Amino acid sequence: MPLKREAGWYKDAIIYQVHVRTFNDNNADGIGDFQGLAQRLDYIQELGVNAIWLMPFFPSPLRDDGYDIADYRSVHPSYGTLDDFKKFLTSAHDRGIRVIIELVANHTSDQHPWFQESRSSQDNPKRDWYVWSDTDTKYRGTRIIFLDTEMSNWAWDPISKAYYWHRFFSHQPDLNYDNPAVRDEIWNVMKFWLEIGVDGFRLDAVPYLIEREGTSCENLPETHEVIREWRKKVDEEYPGTMLLAEANQWPADLRQYFGNGDEFHMAFHFPLMPRMFMGLRLEDRKPITEILQQSPEIPAGCQWCLFLRNHDELTLEMVTDMERDYMYDIYAGDKTMRLNLGIRRRLAPLLDNDRRRIELMNGMLLSLPGTPIIYYGDEIGMGDNIYLGDRNGVRTPMQWSGGWNGGFSAADPESLYSPPILNPVYGYPAVNVSSQKRTQHSLLSWMKHIIGIRRSSTVFGSGSIEFLYPANHRVLAYVRQLGKETVLVVNNLSSTAQAVELDLRRYKGNILIEMFGRNIFPRIGDLPYLLTMGPYQFYWFRLRRI
Amino acid sequence: MAEETLLTDEFLRQLINVGEVDIVVGLPTHNNAKTIEPVIRAIQAGILKCFPRERVVVINADGGSQDGTPELVTGASIDDVWSASKVYALRTLHCISTRYARSPEPGTALRTILAAAELLQAKVCVVISPDSTTIEPDWLQRLVRPVYSNNFDLVSPIYHRQRAEGLLMRNVLYPLTRAIYGYRVREPFASEFAISGKLATDFLGKEIWNEEWGRIGAEIFLTVSAITGKYNVCQTFLGTKVRPHLSANDVVAAMRRTVGALFSSMDSNSQLWSTISVSQPVTTVGNQSEMVLEPARVSRKRLRDMFTAGVRELEPVFRSILSPATLSELQRIAALEVGEFNYPAELWVKTVFEFSAAYHKTVINRDHIVQALVPLYRGRTLTFLLENQDGSAEDIEKSEESLCGEFERLKPYLLEIWAERK
Repeated sequence: MPLKREAGWYKDAIIYQVHVRTFNDNNADGIGDFQGLAQRLDYIQELGVNAIWLMPFFPSPLRDDGYDIADYRSVHPSYGTLDDFKKFLTSAHDRGIRVIIELVANHTSDQHPWFQESRSSQDNPKRDWYVWSDTDTKYRGTRIIFLDTEMSNWAWDPISKAYYWHRFFSHQPDLNYDNPAVRDEIWNVMKFWLEIGVDGFRLDAVPYLIEREGTSCENLPETHEVIREWRKKVDEEYPGTMLLAEANQWPADLRQYFGNGDEFHMAFHFPLMPRMFMGLRLEDRKPITEILQQSPEIPAGCQWCLFLRNHDELTLEMVTDMERDYMYDIYAGDKTMRLNLGIRRRLAPLLDNDRRRIELMNGMLLSLPGTPIIYYGDEIGMGDNIYLGDRNGVRTPMQWSGGWNGGFSAADPESLYSPPILNPVYGYPAVNVSSQKRTQHSLLSWMKHIIGIRRSSTVFGSGSIEFLYPANHRVLAYVRQLGKETVLVVNNLSSTAQAVELDLRRYKGNILIEMFGRNIFPRIGDLPYLLTMGPYQFYWFRLRRI
Repeated sequence: MAEETLLTDEFLRQLINVGEVDIVVGLPTHNNAKTIEPVIRAIQAGILKCFPRERVVVINADGGSQDGTPELVTGASIDDVWSASKVYALRTLHCISTRYARSPEPGTALRTILAAAELLQAKVCVVISPDSTTIEPDWLQRLVRPVYSNNFDLVSPIYHRQRAEGLLMRNVLYPLTRAIYGYRVREPFASEFAISGKLATDFLGKEIWNEEWGRIGAEIFLTVSAITGKYNVCQTFLGTKVRPHLSANDVVAAMRRTVGALFSSMDSNSQLWSTISVSQPVTTVGNQSEMVLEPARVSRKRLRDMFTAGVRELEPVFRSILSPATLSELQRIAALEVGEFNYPAELWVKTVFEFSAAYHKTVINRDHIVQALVPLYRGRTLTFLLENQDGSAEDIEKSEESLCGEFERLKPYLLEIWAERK
């Protein structure tokens, strides 16, 4: 049974991002599947998250890890059947966990029957379902996203003897959203999954739906029209469904995807993420406060989606050239770690496996305004394999135990979809769920604890934020407030102990209750509130007037 | 423990907030409101352009300005620099100010800046003069980079100067320091320089700070400390340096700050310098650009009259300081008309050496000795200007080099009179 679709549920959600293929293999074929995923729902529930975002699981030639869909209404046979998905969905809902699936709407695989028909002849009824041209000179103002692999956004099709438009890999032709039939059909796809009971969609690559000559072919008004059309239908027919935008854009452009509250419910805050890493390494709050100051207000009912790492590279598209150079130098000294305009590494290796920094970054993720997403494996500090191609290095098998294949699969290791991490630092014998469950002070246990604290208050999901600007720039401090509840968050971004004086006079008379240990700190008075903080330490204080 | 009394609690609070830094930019001020704004903008632009990744703080040590100088320093918005230079700062740039005393003492300002740099564990401390209106953002890079990247401990500037500029440096400070300490540091009393954290810490520990010469002329001691301490010293080409016009009183004060401090250092370091007989060049980095020299606008008659009056009125003082031969020769040239006036290099060198020896022996009050040199210095500057009135920059350089040669050649004479009994 689907969970009741409550409006705004996503605001207090904590989302766990998982790929079926990588999580748990039930049938011992070396590839994760829905039955395996369903078996691990208890783990996900214990972690404390209340939503799962599934990466594409549809039939696909898997030339882009499923983002090249060949059938929108089915399940890739490697991952099971549609029934398996339905059972998984029911089990998740039974545990109070909502499920968000991918809608890769911008493009299909070139193996999709729609494209096969479209290319078959110029007269085919589906010819206009894709963007065709006799030349490769149209839309010249459009940037190429996959700089490392693609030379053009046009690809020559020898079958129909014409060029087709693709913003990503050339085997991923873009759908033509100027064609109402395409828009209707994608809506039908959404209805198909909503009828089954999914709780929301993460819409991939939304800025690129429409093309117009003389523009960048990104964020066009016509694209927003398409989104508003879908949103209207969702609200009318499936209220409570959440639409999440993947739009890797600057804040001002991102803001447009919320419209007047009539487009997306949520959008990833792409510019914030690299600046959190930058602020940590610079030991300076400036990059974080600056980008959040530049982030426009969003309509009521809308929410930012925050993340530290995901299945893609740590994208550096939304930073300046100087910032990108800095990030490369600091976080990707080995050029193998770089991909496109980003860094293909997981959280723990990016942070030198420093537990204090990992905790601090998660602390910020869970306390800044927005809905946090935790990428599978980061809760135990999994490593990556930068020697695997593309972004596969951050998509290795989940490490459940120190046993056979890390507990991921009973198959022969050689048949796994990807080699598991084996090195002495991050390999599954050293980093796995089973061993971390046994110790109270493991990263996993700590993650459960902080997620529990985050969920104990709606102030983090729905509250306002006000930055304090103590003279010590190494300290990032802000006040979250919702109704009568006020939480003070203080983060020491520095590797050394810091003293900080906070101007809390407006909260005079309140005492501070530290939310992790529930210890009482001195009452706020007229003088600046002095805190001393250890390296990378952070506090969450609930303010109470007693 | 000196820092505990040197740094106020409020300044210490500011330093706590700044935390560890890579570079401290020190800005000693006292009533510099007329010139400070372009200087602080150039500093900010230099930081943004050349050190965007480094942790930098600008520290203003103010000697009790009444014209709002500290407020201009701390209030200068870096946003304007961003938009003008199109360069973006990765980091927070702190700009803090402290009033170190009721009365201005340049040495105390420097000490305050160095103490802060030590507390903040700065790798480099660069000091910029608040009246350097010709400063370019690149100055910061040229001063800091040799310390930051090439392990130098003291970076001293070389400026472009008009023919009537830097006369005290050209005629006394450079040649005397060079002859005494054996290093060809062109600006031993620099108003812009950079030093390493190591040298800053070492220098802070010196005993000079409670002495008058330390409070007013610490820059000379810094150069001498770097040389005698075997620190890595280099020079860097900056650019045009224009000093505000000095009044007669200013010249006296400058003489006390610079020559007085240098004489004092000679007095306390004679064991070190007495064995040095030749000078060696100092590594110089960067490229010197061309400069068009303008005619000097100096009242020659006034200079000559001040010289003549000085020789006449201070004769009793000079009898205590100078040898009879030198005094006699000075009296001879004091009788010359402007057109014939010539204070030859050898006589000038002997004059300076005899003054330094007199200072060493304290034949009269030391401060009076230093001040008594002023009218003679005016005579020497007149000769310098007459000799170089039509010369090119290269000609002036040769003239300076020739004077330095005289100082080195006659150093045995200094050793001789230095050792004579009082």
